[in-house]
Amino acid sequence: MSSESSKKRKPKVIRSDGAPAEGKRNRSDTEQAIEIEERRIQSCVHFMTLKKLNRLKGRDQTHEAKQKVDAYHLQLQNLLYEVMHLQKEITNASGVSSKHEEIDLVSLEEFYKEAPPDISKAEVTMGDPHQQTLARLDWELEQRKRLAEKYRECLSNKEKILKEIEVKKEYLSSLQPRLNSIMQASLPVQEYLFMPFDQAHKQYETARHLPPPLYVLFVQATAYGQACDKTLSVAIEGSVDEAKALFKPPEDSQDDESDSDAEEEQTTKRRRPTLGVQLDDKRKEMLKRHPLSVMLDLKCKDDSVLHLTFYYLMNLNIMTVKAKVTTATELITPISAGDLLSPDSVLSCLYPGDHGKKTPNPANQYQFDKVGILTLSDYVLELGHPYLWVQKLGGLHFPKEQPQQTVIADHSLSASHMETTMKLLKTRVQSRLALHKQFASLEHGIVPVTSDCQYLFPAKVVSRLVKWVTVAHEDYMELHFTKDIVDAGLAGDTNLYYMALIERGTAKLQAAVVLNPGYSSIPPVFQLCLNWKGEKTNSNDDNIRAMEGEVNVCYKELCGPWPSHQLLTNQLQRLCVLLDVYLETESHDDSVEGPKEFPQEKMCLRLFRGPSRMKPFKYNHPQGFFSHR
Amino acid sequence: MERAVPLAVPLGQTEVFQALQRLHMTIFSQSVSPCGKFLAAGNNYGQIAIFSLASGLWVELVNSVLHFSLAHDGPVYSMVSTDRHLLSAGDGEVKAWLWAEMLKKGCKELWHRQPPYRTSLEVPEINALLLVPKENSLILAGGDCQLHTMDLETGTFTRVLRGHTDYIHCLALRERSPEVLSGGEDGAVRLWDLRTAKEVQTIEVYKHEECSRPHNGRWIGCLATDSDWMVCGGGPALTLWHLRSSTPTTVFPIRAPQKHVTFYQDLILSAGQGRCVNQWQLSGELKAQVPGSSPGLLSLSLNQQPAAPECKVLTAAGNSCRVDVFTNLGYRAFSLSF
Repeated sequence: MSSESSKKRKPKVIRSDGAPAEGKRNRSDTEQAIEIEERRIQSCVHFMTLKKLNRLKGRDQTHEAKQKVDAYHLQLQNLLYEVMHLQKEITNASGVSSKHEEIDLVSLEEFYKEAPPDISKAEVTMGDPHQQTLARLDWELEQRKRLAEKYRECLSNKEKILKEIEVKKEYLSSLQPRLNSIMQASLPVQEYLFMPFDQAHKQYETARHLPPPLYVLFVQATAYGQACDKTLSVAIEGSVDEAKALFKPPEDSQDDESDSDAEEEQTTKRRRPTLGVQLDDKRKEMLKRHPLSVMLDLKCKDDSVLHLTFYYLMNLNIMTVKAKVTTATELITPISAGDLLSPDSVLSCLYPGDHGKKTPNPANQYQFDKVGILTLSDYVLELGHPYLWVQKLGGLHFPKEQPQQTVIADHSLSASHMETTMKLLKTRVQSRLALHKQFASLEHGIVPVTSDCQYLFPAKVVSRLVKWVTVAHEDYMELHFTKDIVDAGLAGDTNLYYMALIERGTAKLQAAVVLNPGYSSIPPVFQLCLNWKGEKTNSNDDNIRAMEGEVNVCYKELCGPWPSHQLLTNQLQRLCVLLDVYLETESHDDSVEGPKEFPQEKMCLRLFRGPSRMKPFKYNHPQGFFSHR
Repeated sequence: MERAVPLAVPLGQTEVFQALQRLHMTIFSQSVSPCGKFLAAGNNYGQIAIFSLASGLWVELVNSVLHFSLAHDGPVYSMVSTDRHLLSAGDGEVKAWLWAEMLKKGCKELWHRQPPYRTSLEVPEINALLLVPKENSLILAGGDCQLHTMDLETGTFTRVLRGHTDYIHCLALRERSPEVLSGGEDGAVRLWDLRTAKEVQTIEVYKHEECSRPHNGRWIGCLATDSDWMVCGGGPALTLWHLRSSTPTTVFPIRAPQKHVTFYQDLILSAGQGRCVNQWQLSGELKAQVPGSSPGLLSLSLNQQPAAPECKVLTAAGNSCRVDVFTNLGYRAFSLSF
């Protein structure tokens, strides 16, 4: 437009240049100016009409074009929308899995193997996956039908069998009372044939109510008795009802607790006396025994019996034992033999160091502290002794290094200790009974030497045993000639102490004897004091020391035949012989007048030997002379 | 009296037996090793124990370094050491051991010899051994009342000296002559000249009133000699004699019979019944009595080996299982125990 307007302007300017300018200037200037103005207005109007025309034409064109574009656009949109829709459908369609895909079909190889040919149709299905799938589905259906059939059959079978079982159960339950009546009827027959099955059965019934350690003991002892020692008898004593009553159901005990709480409130309103009584009750509660106990009877060859009763202390988890020895004939107890067979000490130190005065369970100490019990030894007389071997027979093991939470009764521990312990018990009883008899003789001044030990001594023994008495432990420690033994730790309070007096003429020999509970495997120990021409003991006379050595160190020669019950009496007899030798071989003092008090009657090769000038104490059999070791 | 060995409470059979054995043990003889660091002790069970003196000086109650069981069948009554060997004698025979081997376990004897005895009824014991360095020989004396000389190189018995009427307790050597003194149960001290093999002098101690003690007997239990002087003891009182004139010059006032005596510097040390080691001046005064741990002593040993001056100690042993060690003669330092 502007270019057109500028074109229009140009000719106008040229024209104005072409016309002569001089004359007509005044008029032409204003005319020109008015013409220019008109033309300008016309041109403007022309411009405007031109614009208008242009616009009208253009609008139609753009309108048409726009419409076309819009139509195409709409078509495009539609198509795109359709495409999207179809795509969605496709994805939906592909997403949807039809039910047949959820079924676990058998693998292809199996399918072809198992399916009958009319279903598998191999030729068709191999190539076509759709057909293949169809075929497989067919086969699946077939199989399922068959299996459903089978299932129904099995169910019906099961019903039948259940019914049969019911019938048989009823039959069995009706059998039980009939069997019982048969057993009752057979009792007289059992007794007649000495086969007490019923009795054993009853015992096993009661055994079920035993606490675990006693049960272990019962089982192991019965087994040992059947296998190794037919004379061992095992029995259970006590009240089974009380044992059952220990396991009351919880509701009852709760009711009891609430009742007792109410009672306790009432009682605490009373004053002091009940505190001590309460402590006493607590102690009694702590030391309570299980109502059942196991009794073992060990029979020895000479018809003496050791009765052992084993108890279980429930709160302390230890076992104790009470012992009693009965003999075939009534024993007259000599005064010195009082402690030998007493129930308190007969089983002391069966194994070395096992004195049974302390509880073997270390956890008990804390329990004792709570109720003010100092030591179990105060209660041992009524409760029995808690020896370590008793715990082992009950399968209880209390290791010192790691205190265990709960100690459980162990059968293998009991089994491994049973035989040794039973043998030791028998040996102990027999040696004590032998000592019992010997003491009776010793108190009468006779040293009983059996015939098979006569060879150890010469035929003629002049020194005589005059006295044999028991001595208290404290008194033994006070004696001036026993210091060595006390210092060596051989005089503990579990030993028994005796004093023997051997005399010949004016010479008196005192012998203090330590009898270890482990006699006769542990020898008695002698300490001597001779009163003759002064007091001679091992500290001032080498020969007295040698005499002690002859009985203490060389005791093995004096043991005699196994089980060496003769050891003590042989030692005493040897002391008599030694005293004889000592007195007879004493060199005569020339300054003193008179003959020797003891003429030499023993045959000796030499009287003195060695730097210590020892006397000949060794007796040689059968030549009958004395020599030095 | 303190316990020499810390014993656990003897419980079982073996512990009780061992405790009883120890209680009844007697140590008869001692001998110091050539290097001066070890002490051998022989007891009545025939065992020889080797103690280490050097380590013992610092540790109380040292247990033996080595322990032979049954080196001999009977008690080991006497022992001497040569510069390489330990010779021990007891029931009838003398055995030799190498000191260097003794410190190891399982040492076996080098050789053993038995002097020719007249009697065959009973094997006589050998109570004393004496080394004669000039001749390189060993003199044995004991139960058969004779002195036998054995050449250490060849092992043959060269001389027999007869004269005692009862068994011989002790021997002593007089270097100069050389002469041997022997004391015996018959109460006589006899001097023998080794070159002529004859008895030269006899002193019957019990016949002298100053020293005889009839209630103890007449036996001579111990002898020691220092050129012209001799001290002897036993049943009779401990007496110092002048040899050439055979006269008793000093009688030592002690009632208990003495079993071992020796000269030491200007003192005489003696020990016997009773726990003490007695120290005497030559004039007869008692200088000191030092108590030991055994109720009676049978042997004293002075370790004067030049190789170990730090182990210069006096050791005493007797009627117990302990050997007392005196580092300073004034007190007992510690004890060694079997």
